[in-house]
This record gives sequence, C-alpha cells and structure tokens, in this order.
Amino acid sequence: MDTETGGEKERPRDDEIQAFHNQIRAADAEKLEFVGDKEPLSVLEDEYKAGSAVFLAKLQILKENYGSIRRARGDGNCFFRSFMFSYLEHLIVTQDEAEIARVEKSIEICKQTLIDLGHAEFTFEDFLGIFVEQLQSVIQGKETSISLDTLVERCRDQYVSNYVVMFFRFVTSGEIRRRAEFFEPFIQGMSNMSVVQFCRSSVEPMGEESDHVHITALSDALGVPVRVVYLDQSGDINDKPVTVNNHDFIPEGMDTSVDPYVILLYRPGHYDILYRRENPANVEPTILEQKN
Amino acid sequence: MSSSGYGQKEKVLSRIAANRLQKELTEWQVNAPCGFKHKVTDSLQRWIIEVHGAPNTLYEGEQFHLQVDFPEHYPMEAPQVIFMQVPPMHPHIYSNGHICLDILYDSWSPAMTVSSICISILSMLSSSTVKARPPDDDRYVRNCRNGRSPKETRWWFHDDKV
Repeated sequence: MDTETGGEKERPRDDEIQAFHNQIRAADAEKLEFVGDKEPLSVLEDEYKAGSAVFLAKLQILKENYGSIRRARGDGNCFFRSFMFSYLEHLIVTQDEAEIARVEKSIEICKQTLIDLGHAEFTFEDFLGIFVEQLQSVIQGKETSISLDTLVERCRDQYVSNYVVMFFRFVTSGEIRRRAEFFEPFIQGMSNMSVVQFCRSSVEPMGEESDHVHITALSDALGVPVRVVYLDQSGDINDKPVTVNNHDFIPEGMDTSVDPYVILLYRPGHYDILYRRENPANVEPTILEQKN
Repeated sequence: MSSSGYGQKEKVLSRIAANRLQKELTEWQVNAPCGFKHKVTDSLQRWIIEVHGAPNTLYEGEQFHLQVDFPEHYPMEAPQVIFMQVPPMHPHIYSNGHICLDILYDSWSPAMTVSSICISILSMLSSSTVKARPPDDDRYVRNCRNGRSPKETRWWFHDDKV
C-alpha cells in the first residue's frame, strides 16, 4: 500500500500509467452522449481513411449487411448502454408485447437469483424498477407511453441510463455466480480471479469493461440473443477473402438459428450499436402507429 | 482533531438517495452487522457507527467510531468513510482517520451497502498482524491538512493481504 500525495515521486508505475490512461478516457468520453445519433456506416470510412487496409476491406464487407451505427460513450459501460438502447428500440419499433411479458418473467427469476445469493431486495430494487419502467413505457397507447425520441433522451439521461446499466451489472453478476461452475474456466483463463472476486471487481463496479463473460451472462439471464460483429485488425489483406467475424450469443434453450436483433459492433475495447440495412427502424416514426 | 472539516462539497441527498438510505437504516435496525452499532442522530446524511474490535484479534476489547458521509447521488457514488479520533493502529489506517481500502474508492459498486462496508473494514482489522501506522503516515497526513477528503486521494492498493 502506498499513497501519492504530491512530491517524492519516482518514475510512473504501471498502475499509475493505467490511471492516467483512464483519466484521458474519461475526459474524452464526456464529449459524447451516452448513446449518439444514428449515423450511416460511411462515417467509419471517413474515420479510417488513413487506417489499415484490413480495416477498410472489412468495412466494405460490413456495408453489405449493415447500414448504420449508433455510438455509445466509451466510459467502460458501452456494452450495457448499447444493449439497453438497442433492446428497447427494438421493442418500441416492433411493439412486441409478448417479448415484454417474457422478459419480465426473466427479470423475476433474476430477482430471485439475487435474493438467493444474499442480496437484500432494497439493494437492487431501485435499479430494477427503472428498467421495468422503461420496458412498460415502450408500448404505445398508454398514458406512460414514450416516443423513440423520448427513449433516446432517457438513454442519455444520467439517472435513467446509469440505473439501468447498474441493473444489468446486478443481473450479470447474479448469473455468473449462479452458474459459477460454467463461468469459472473462462474467468480463470483471463484473470486468475475467483468467480466472486471477478464479479466484485470486474462486473459490479460502474465503468468496468465487458467481454464475452459479461455478454454471455446478460444474454442468458434475460433471454435476449445478441450478435457481436468484430471489426478488428485480424486477418491479412493478402489472404483472400478477408472475412468479418460474428459471434451470436444465443440464450440457453433458444433455437440456435435465431436471428439476433440486438447487434453490436465491436472494435477493440469498445461496443457500439449496429443496424441492418433497411432495418424497419430506418422508417421511423410512422411505424410506431402500427401494431404487430 | 475534528473530522467535521471533511465532506466540504456536501450537497443534500437526492430523493432517490434519501429513500434508499431510509431503507438501509430500517434494514440495519433489524439486522445490524455483528460488532457495529449505529449511533442515532437526526442526520440521514451522516452516520456515526460504533465499531467493536473482534474477539481473538489485536483489537479485541477496543472501540472505535466511523463517520460515514453520503453524497448526493448515493449509492451511484461511494460514501466517504473515515475513522474518528482515535483511529485504530493499523498499517492501512492513517492517523487522521483515512482508510486505504479499495472498495471505498476505485472499486466501489452501487451493489454495496453500509453493512457490507462495515464487514470489509472489520475483516481488514481482524486480519492485521501488527499494530502500526502506514509507513508514509506523516507525509500523507501533512498533505491532508487543508481538510482534503480521502476520496480526493489517489490510492494505490498494492497489498490486499493485511
């Protein structure tokens, strides 16, 4: 243990450099909304104009299937914020009341899991309540109904957005601990921590980044399939053809041929929301008047 | 020394924070963590908690006081937790009452509660093998003289054994 209170400094330690890096990241993150506006995928081409050939080749492939992206703030919560918006947007567009009823049942099970693991209900009920409130407001024709614009506003609101992120962190941690035997090898493979330590240090605090373990746990616990599309440097431009890797996280018990509607674009260290070409969401907001 | 100089930027609790703290207090009253006693005051925002050193540890029979100040956005933000005078002699506790414990700072999670903080602090005390101040106590305390909150310190947590 040591403290840094000014003066008497030696060369920077690794954790110090990491802290500095985090500071820069936090300052950068402030410039962006929690979730941005929908933008055409071509904005990435501009961004990577001078970038690697592999990247640009993959972008071309991506454009065949996907039309737009919506950025999430890079503050370590981007997976959860992207998931939140993408899922709620899907519901507001499809008006899928059966899905809402289904996910509410999953939430009840998550709640029981947390209680079984020793969490007093008051420690998570505020977070859970905010998410359920959002779920219930996406169905149109009620006094509490919200438009897509309002959903965007809410997902940019610090209170709503952070409370939902924290609810997802509770759910993720609960699922990992409930199925500790299943998750243990993955966790040990990357961190050398016990399952409980991992949840305490890498899931439950805000701002801790997510990876496969988090996504698997949240997707399984809520029963929501998630596709992650990887835009990275892997592969060689001289090896034809360059391919873009996808990974579908399909909840236990769901048909593996299901087509996930929560689609995230992964670039090393960061998740954003990705949209299929000619996604019905493109023709907002008249679609909101129709019911499936 | 008075510890009331800390928590300068005190803002009133948000409605959600006040609500949540009320629930924590109610839960505490029926199910307080072993070895702790909440001293009743009229403030929801500042709790004073009596700590009893656990039996068969270096602190058996000793009694300390924690001062817990809650920020406007508790539990999204961590409370400020310090020992009031005289703090326990411990390699992670400074003579001004500041505590070097990761969950109070970088590793805080809104999933935690006052109870879980108390349990962590007692476990930190109980596992101590030596009654001593941190090696940099003088320097650290000198640098905090302007009433700086421990939440403004950049802490390094190298040793989670003690």
